[in-house]
Amino acid sequence: MSSKPAFKVLGKDTPRQDGVAKVTGREIFASDMAFPNMLYGRILKSPYAHAKVKSMDVSKAEAMGAVTLTPGEIPDIKYCPRLVSVPSSTYKDWKVLAEKGHYVGEPIGAVAAESEEEAQRALESIEVDYEVLGASFDAFDSMKLGADLIHEQIYLEDDLIDVKNNIGCQLEITEGDPASLEAADYVIERTYRTNRRYHNQLETKSVLVRPEPDGGVSIWSTTQTIHNTRLLIHDIYGIPMGKIRVYKVALGGSFGSSIHVNPPVTVAVGLALKSRRPVKLCYTREEDIRDHCAYQIIFKLKLGAFKDGTLAGGQMEAYLDIGAHQIQAYPLLGCVVGWWVSLYRLPYKEYVGKAVYTNKVPCCAFRGYGNPQTTWVVETMMDELAGMIGVDPLDFRLKNFIGEGELFWGQGPTVKSIIRSCGVEEILTKGAEMVDWYNRLKPEEQTGRYRKGWGVGRGFHTSSAGAPVPSSIIDFGGAMLKMNEDGTFDYVSALMDHGCGTQDAHAKIIAEELCVPVDKVNIIRADTGTTVYDVCTHASRGVYSGGGAALKVAGKVKEQIREFAGRILDAYPHAVRIRYDEARGQAVVYAEGIEGREVTYRDVAETARQKNWGTAASVESYRQPSCPPHFTGYFVDVEVDTWTGKVKLLRVVAGADIGTVINPKLAAGQVHGGFAQGWGMTVLEDTPYDPESGDLMNGGSVANYKVPTTCDLLDLEDLTVFFADTYEPTGPFGAKGLGEGALNPVAGAIANAIQSALGVRFFQLPITPIRILEALKEKEG
Amino acid sequence: MYVNKVNTHILPIEFEYHAPKSLDETVELLEKYGEDAHVLAGGTDLLPHMKQRRVEPKHIVNIKGIPELACIKEIPEGIHIGALAKLRAIELSPLINEKLPLLSEAARSVGSIQIRNLGTIGGNICNASPSADMATPLMAVDAKVHVYSKSGEKNYPIVEFFHGRGEVRLEQGELVTGFTVPHLPEGAGSAFEKIGWTTLDIATVNVAAVVSLKDGKIDHCSIALGACSPAPIRGVLAEEILRGREPSAEAMDEAVELIATCVEPRERWRRAPPEYRQRTSKALARDAVTRAVEAARR
Ligand SMILES: Cc1cc2nc3c(=O)[nH]c(=O)nc-3n(C[C@H](O)[C@H](O)[C@H](O)COP(=O)(O)OP(=O)(O)OC[C@H]3O[C@@H](n4cnc5c(N)ncnc54)[C@H](O)[C@@H]3O)c2cc1C
Repeated sequence: MSSKPAFKVLGKDTPRQDGVAKVTGREIFASDMAFPNMLYGRILKSPYAHAKVKSMDVSKAEAMGAVTLTPGEIPDIKYCPRLVSVPSSTYKDWKVLAEKGHYVGEPIGAVAAESEEEAQRALESIEVDYEVLGASFDAFDSMKLGADLIHEQIYLEDDLIDVKNNIGCQLEITEGDPASLEAADYVIERTYRTNRRYHNQLETKSVLVRPEPDGGVSIWSTTQTIHNTRLLIHDIYGIPMGKIRVYKVALGGSFGSSIHVNPPVTVAVGLALKSRRPVKLCYTREEDIRDHCAYQIIFKLKLGAFKDGTLAGGQMEAYLDIGAHQIQAYPLLGCVVGWWVSLYRLPYKEYVGKAVYTNKVPCCAFRGYGNPQTTWVVETMMDELAGMIGVDPLDFRLKNFIGEGELFWGQGPTVKSIIRSCGVEEILTKGAEMVDWYNRLKPEEQTGRYRKGWGVGRGFHTSSAGAPVPSSIIDFGGAMLKMNEDGTFDYVSALMDHGCGTQDAHAKIIAEELCVPVDKVNIIRADTGTTVYDVCTHASRGVYSGGGAALKVAGKVKEQIREFAGRILDAYPHAVRIRYDEARGQAVVYAEGIEGREVTYRDVAETARQKNWGTAASVESYRQPSCPPHFTGYFVDVEVDTWTGKVKLLRVVAGADIGTVINPKLAAGQVHGGFAQGWGMTVLEDTPYDPESGDLMNGGSVANYKVPTTCDLLDLEDLTVFFADTYEPTGPFGAKGLGEGALNPVAGAIANAIQSALGVRFFQLPITPIRILEALKEKEG
Repeated sequence: MYVNKVNTHILPIEFEYHAPKSLDETVELLEKYGEDAHVLAGGTDLLPHMKQRRVEPKHIVNIKGIPELACIKEIPEGIHIGALAKLRAIELSPLINEKLPLLSEAARSVGSIQIRNLGTIGGNICNASPSADMATPLMAVDAKVHVYSKSGEKNYPIVEFFHGRGEVRLEQGELVTGFTVPHLPEGAGSAFEKIGWTTLDIATVNVAAVVSLKDGKIDHCSIALGACSPAPIRGVLAEEILRGREPSAEAMDEAVELIATCVEPRERWRRAPPEYRQRTSKALARDAVTRAVEAARR
């Protein structure tokens, strides 16, 4: 509970600055852009899951007038496309164009031509001679002795290391007293298998690259980080950084799939440099679905508890089936243990994580970064354990959750901090009241066609990835703010908005600090040349870290306004006050107690201009002081049709502790979206492989990859979202993150509801109608 | 090679485009170009197929310039629906909603509004998909297919139109012009049931049923099933066992057991194993007949 300051701008619903452009279809995305004399690029992909390219004949494509690109024409550099960790934690196994296809769909060559159709015809004319190698589609097959090595050698920082048993990297951590777990009264040990979900972001990965006369390149691309894009292009192509301009362009969704620099970008730069013409390269949906997916994890979890309902400890083995390349597998190994041990107090914890190569599409972060998977496993087992002990599953959670004042290391063992704000209790008790949790009958053994069940799941995510001390993760940003001569402000930052309204939240934070309505703060789209570094929009850091940077520059600009106004008013700068004057449409700086001793922002700026004092402006880098968790909890009611296996949602109550709520409707929207994605994760989504072709079973067709639509959810009247009354002391005006926490506990809550309806527990996702009917047949015949 | 070839965005093949203004002109073109010509109606099946390179026609014959093919009208024998009638028009047509609610219900289940605004009933049938959502209702109402060619018009019952294995009975140079649905028995009720993984999904199983009652007993009964056999089928045995009986739970049990014996789902259909389709075709058949009986009682 908190006593929050009264806000003027924060906490009110305000329209987004890009709202009109988006709803009228006038927003420009990378794939909408065009330049005169532009070529269209297409990427040649490995049709085999594992095959060496023995030779490639592009002569027909060139005869057709296309520009071609083969592996030998690109600097021979192995890299990691994600530049968020420090080099000593970065494994590198990527090349722009591979000499060996490690999965069906890996880029091995490229063409550019006058139209997409011509480029496609040129692409089809390329003749490649392959040597097909043995492929593995399962992490445990990959680790078997004698399995073909997918990568023989990879780099860790600058050291070449040998890969053994296809294990790309691993991490082991043990803490506490093993005697505690040994003394447990109840122990459960199980294996869980998660699905391989495709992000299905609206915009397929796209890029437009324009080579510049000075030898540099300008880039407009689907990305969550313009600065890391510049870093990587510099690393690969050796172009001086000042000559690489990466421009912000509206992002058509990402969900983590563009934290790393996308293959179309590195390829299109090569094509543009070679052709000396602008090159646009947009993935088709079929290419995009063979480009990335969520980390599939096989967990072995053991949890022990005492009779009094406290946890005794646990052991976890996590096998990450990472596909054919590492994007951020090593940091994820740390996060998985972090997600696990930060949920509930464990006197003893033992963890082994292994990231295993398979000949499948490379996994990358997907909203929650392993947390939805881990939380599903833990929340499933917490329910089972509660049943074994004979305590209410909600009470069991309330007794064991990690909250205020306790150590939190969600982002892994190098990112530890103390929790300063926590709404877990409020979420769980208020949610329980709303669904009347304790007075509901336990679902009886139901026998009819339709069976009802309810479940609870809780979780968290970090807001940013930076602790009070430096870690292996880079996490800082920055911002620029200046006052215009009419008393409005221009806000410039490198931080990308994924479509969540993150930059609008920054504008509101600035407006709050400067006592103006939010429409006085313009969000300016800039580029790497005009912004200071920001690491990336990920880890739900947009509001907490990015907003922190915005508040910092707003504070500095406010100081300068006071300084200028003080001169004008003949008052002490630190003593003048500021209020907003509706009638004048201006903020007013005034000296208290003396009528008329006041000046508007407009006059401050105009006077400063005329007297040559300068612009009230600030540019700052900002590193947030902590890594606070935001907490969420879901109560879910379902009904299962035992004839078809279809699960229907009846009611959902969601609670979230995100500190100060900046934009209530957008925040609720994050929860709706998180729930929808979790619903898809639980009952629908997966990308299994056909071992014969080595390709996806869905053949790359999104028509065969189903995600829920609004019609497959529930009416908004039946989906209640509430926010806990908390204030994060280290956040901008008390705010924390939300994006990922909104998803993390959903699968656990729904799975527990399905269990309560059917009396059957599932240890594999997704829980499809097919699997439900199979399980019921086994149980009931 | 197909990963470098198949997509749903780029159409790199070249073809000649024809936009005839009359039926005769159309069949002339179809006759002339034979196998190389493909009819274009809404294009919601044809265009994805061309981009996926499942077909690479050299000639595209767009029939949308023949407005009379889009009509929906009452005729003495029943109702006539032109091949070019949009699924959205069928969904919203007052005439269809009143006289053949089964068809509007089925049309409403197809894809999204955007798809229904483009897709036609003729295209849905001629595409020859076992899961076509208009096929089962047309079968359940004993529709006739009208086919036109240089040698004139002919028609036959829609059950004869489906050959099985993704084929329809359409010779070179032939065009489907529409469907005639005979008057339903007095007081008949109907229902369409479909299961897919999401609301916008194609059917994993679909069922259409038409039932009329006489003295509380089932009189007319037709049940058609899609997506659970190589072509849409009629559940003839189940229909027979229900006729003349009260729609009791036992009668239903017997009927759906017979449904299970007549469907032939294929192992290689990836979206669901045969057993799942078998079980859900029983469930959906029961639901469809139950709802049709309720409608007939009203
Ligand atoms: C996203 C999406 C969702 C869909 N969902 C569904 C669904 O839920 N249920 C469903 O059943 N279908 C679905 N479809 C498939 C399709 O939309 C329908 O089958 C539609 O009715 C096809 O009609 P059309 O006019 O677009 O056909 P077209 O694509 O124009 O033609 C289809 C085929 O029929 C031939 N043809 C068309 N008209 C004639 C004619 N008069 N005489 C002879 N041959 C002809 C064409 O040559 C072609 O081979 C979906 C498609 C998409 C893209």
